[in-house]
Amino acid sequence: LVLKTSTEPGPPSAALTALRSARFIGDINSIKYPEYIMSPNPALNAAAPAGKFKYQKDFLLQFQSVFTEKPHQEWDKIIRETVGEPDSARPQTAR
Amino acid sequence: TESKPREEPQSAQEQLTVFHSPEGFTVKHPLMNKWTLWFTKPAPPGKTGSDNWADLLKNVVTFDSVEEFWGIYNNITKTSDLAIKSDYHLFKDGVRPEWEDVQNKAGGKWAYQFKNKSNVPIDELWLHVMLAAIGETLEKEGDSEVMGVVVNVRRGLYRIGVWTRTTGGMIRPGPGVAGRTLEEGRETLLEIGRRFKEVLRLPEREAVEFAGHTESAHIGSSRAKAKYTV
Repeated sequence: LVLKTSTEPGPPSAALTALRSARFIGDINSIKYPEYIMSPNPALNAAAPAGKFKYQKDFLLQFQSVFTEKPHQEWDKIIRETVGEPDSARPQTAR
Repeated sequence: TESKPREEPQSAQEQLTVFHSPEGFTVKHPLMNKWTLWFTKPAPPGKTGSDNWADLLKNVVTFDSVEEFWGIYNNITKTSDLAIKSDYHLFKDGVRPEWEDVQNKAGGKWAYQFKNKSNVPIDELWLHVMLAAIGETLEKEGDSEVMGVVVNVRRGLYRIGVWTRTTGGMIRPGPGVAGRTLEEGRETLLEIGRRFKEVLRLPEREAVEFAGHTESAHIGSSRAKAKYTV
């Protein structure tokens, strides 16, 4: 058995495809969130021009477990070339 | 922007957010600004000179939606897992996270050092500072001061900072520019400091300090005398 170790990116995930094709919300007040979701604080956006919204921390934190997909098809490569692998980036232990 | 909300009558059903459908959402949440995440790699052993610092500063990714921010955050190394001398910088697109950038030259930063690393929930604090930056709650409408936020991982400490465009001086009014008196300039910067301190959940007795970049550059360290304290 030969394991494929190619670094060719696979097809984009459904979530990534949705991220790319989704339109920006123009009117934040027109969004009907599911009942269990806290809406953005209207007071923050009272004077907001179209598409320019402020978001409070508790609103933003709701996305944490909802959008978990890698944000780019070549994300692993981008990370290797910039931040590096977490393990190799760790300080060497005393030897 | 390309969005033309008035010309696209959308029923509520057609506007599916990521909460309605994580894999089939049709609308996403725009950020007020486009942001770039940068990373400073620790210098390789034996190359600790400051001349190669620019080579170690890596542009990781630029994003402009809440959804994309979380895709990045959920798939990138946590601050607590970074090596000593690493930094994350989250800056407005087009601003390099350096004193020398023309947009930073006249500015400064609020910063706080956490000296007991093992007792600091650094991942949560850095996340909250990033959320305050991209959610645009670190400053008031129209302040246009926040340039970016940064976390430094150092031996014995973590430091989190907010970079501002000015050091709180007077601004003469001009075309499209609301002027500020010296007192208003100072108060604008102090308010950002107070909001930053609140995001970091620091007790009142802890001091968060502001220093101008030029002063810091002259002293040759980030230990310039504080211009303001909250």
